[in-house]
Amino acid sequence: MKKLLKGPVSLLWMGLLTIGLAAGCSSDDDSSGDNGGGDGSGEGGVSGELELQYFVGGYGDSWWKEVIEDFEEEYPDVSVVEHAGPNINEEMRSRWVSGDPPDVVYIDGAGSSETQMVEDGQLMNLSDLVEDIEVEGEPLLDSFIVEPATYDDEIYSLPLVFDTWGTWYNEALFEDEGYEVPADFDGFMDTMGEVQEGEDISPFVTTGQHPYYFLRGVLYPAFGASGGDELLNDVITGAEGAWTSDPVVEVMEKVQEMQEAGYIDDGFGALNHTQSQMDFLMGDNAFIPVGFWLPNEMANDIPEDFEFGFVPSPMNDSGEPYSIVPDLRPLAIAEEAENPEAAEAFVEFVFKKEFARSFSEHTGAIMNLNGVDLSENEEVPDYLIEANDMINDEEQVQINNKPHPMSSDLEEPIGNSLVSLMLGNITAEEFTEEAEQAAAEYRESNE
Amino acid sequence: MVQSKKQKYTFLAFCLIPTFIMFSIFTLYPLFSGLYFSFFEWSGATQEKTFIGFDNYIKLFNDSIIPRTIYHDYFLVATKVVGIMVLALFFAVALTQLKIKEAPFYRIVFFFPNIMSVVVIGILWAFIYNPSMGLVNSGLEAIGLESWTRAWLGNEDWALASLVLPSVWAGIGLFMLMLMGGIANVSKSYYEAAEIDGANEWQQFWKVTLPLVWPQIKISILYIVITTLNGSFIIVQVMTGGGPNNSTHVMGSYLYQQAFQQYDFGYGATIGVMILIISLITVLILQFLMRRERVEY
Repeated sequence: MKKLLKGPVSLLWMGLLTIGLAAGCSSDDDSSGDNGGGDGSGEGGVSGELELQYFVGGYGDSWWKEVIEDFEEEYPDVSVVEHAGPNINEEMRSRWVSGDPPDVVYIDGAGSSETQMVEDGQLMNLSDLVEDIEVEGEPLLDSFIVEPATYDDEIYSLPLVFDTWGTWYNEALFEDEGYEVPADFDGFMDTMGEVQEGEDISPFVTTGQHPYYFLRGVLYPAFGASGGDELLNDVITGAEGAWTSDPVVEVMEKVQEMQEAGYIDDGFGALNHTQSQMDFLMGDNAFIPVGFWLPNEMANDIPEDFEFGFVPSPMNDSGEPYSIVPDLRPLAIAEEAENPEAAEAFVEFVFKKEFARSFSEHTGAIMNLNGVDLSENEEVPDYLIEANDMINDEEQVQINNKPHPMSSDLEEPIGNSLVSLMLGNITAEEFTEEAEQAAAEYRESNE
Repeated sequence: MVQSKKQKYTFLAFCLIPTFIMFSIFTLYPLFSGLYFSFFEWSGATQEKTFIGFDNYIKLFNDSIIPRTIYHDYFLVATKVVGIMVLALFFAVALTQLKIKEAPFYRIVFFFPNIMSVVVIGILWAFIYNPSMGLVNSGLEAIGLESWTRAWLGNEDWALASLVLPSVWAGIGLFMLMLMGGIANVSKSYYEAAEIDGANEWQQFWKVTLPLVWPQIKISILYIVITTLNGSFIIVQVMTGGGPNNSTHVMGSYLYQQAFQQYDFGYGATIGVMILIISLITVLILQFLMRRERVEY
């Protein structure tokens, strides 16, 4: 034995050791390729493992658990593997990069981008599948509140959650102090003035670390109200001259007006979304633009005397209806899904009115199916019933649709200039010029 | 026992080869793959990459935010080096030379921030700077300086400067300990000799302490510079996310934004290459500037 460790033999040992080490690092690529997944060829066509990736944010995960349980009951041969959590998009990224994605993905939250996934060819074309799906006898395509996004007329994702941004206020406070809920921009300015005086606070807050909250929550509805779907389409796609056009300049002047009147909390620049929402709940501010998920997201921090009130962001001129711009969170199937049969079965299974009702109960938000009656449901929060009624009343609210989410390559620079405008460092005109410049660069990079 | 040459080389190889393999896998491979990716247009979320040659580098030179991120990095480097070195040296001298009874207590207190995660420090200081309930603003109000209060991290002019304080606070302890070690190694007899020659404490510091702990000071400065260029990302990301309006973006946080938020991984890799080159040049220049003859008395 002693001899083995000495002399030329020991060099050999080391060589072997080295090769072993190197091999150990590279030999795991082909063994893991075809485990799980199954081939979906069992009885009834659907079996095996179904991998599901879903983001858990403001809406929690209790609804998902319920759906998955029901699905497994209906398809006993399928076992669902859940990949879920607030950082799941980051955690699963290496799986997508390596061509081993989960079967079904719910696209929502930080680190996910439907547009990017379609551009990268990661999602399955669902145009044919969607034709075959029915909801209580009606074709699914006729049952959506908002239709699926299309890319060159093809459908790659089905809008599951109907989200919309709007402006929140404390209904209890407004009732006690007699503040009026604004119906248009002038009313908005008046109420903010009264609140500023009466409560001695800056009435409006948003997050400066994520300026897209203001962009999507206030500016999109403002653009929708003044220029309809067409203007919305132009600003989101960065069309030439859109950001310097008159209606956009007018909207941005309204923002400047809010800033100059001191209505925007001057500390907003540093706040992340949670901090701004805390400030709002603590009564440091009276208005905040967030989506439907706010009450659920902050459920543990709501003061006792607080009551959520929701109004579409009142950026419309007087006499005109509010505008809301739905934000849809879709469900999609991976192009390289290992068990597409089960994936299709799951997607078909989810779009049910029964689940739409329980979605509103669990999350306080709306699933993207029409004809779901919430008004009699005691489990659904009041603000949602009110908002739901309002959204369905065409005289009060117009719904404007955007073509697809804005690319982060455009949203990022515009958000930066927006913070500057809202801090009072640049004027509305300077903002529109900077935004137009950003749009020009965005167009150039996409050529 | 005399070792044969062969035995010696075997032993050397035994020590070096595994290290070299590890180094290759965990340092060289990522380094070169970063360089490789910088020539591609790649979203970082798919298998498809397009080779685009030097396009990312051209974009880098035309990007108006890049010069600002470099400036912000060097602003932090300069203020941190000065702030940390002055304070760490002051505390180190005070705790070793002034014979304070509570020295061990202070040593622990000053070192404490070093065992805290930078993320925790960032969140803690974000609360301290909070415009409505933070310590800084309420402190200023308490002493009648209401006009000085502001939204520190939310202000385009003040946000970057506000990041210096937590960075310095978090850095002092480690370098204080390093310098204390250096000072403790200086023989007492030098100070006695200096005292007999009539040198006051101030002169003793400049003529005896400083030259003899110069190696420690040099290493400390290099270490602060390198960790700031590579690591200021964390505190920026936690406290301001690079905002407001890019006023606190450092190279690292801008890289993160490009690679992981704007899905431009190739461009992110290009920024990474730039950070590497800039750090290397900086360290070389510093080495050159700080070379001094080793002092021995």
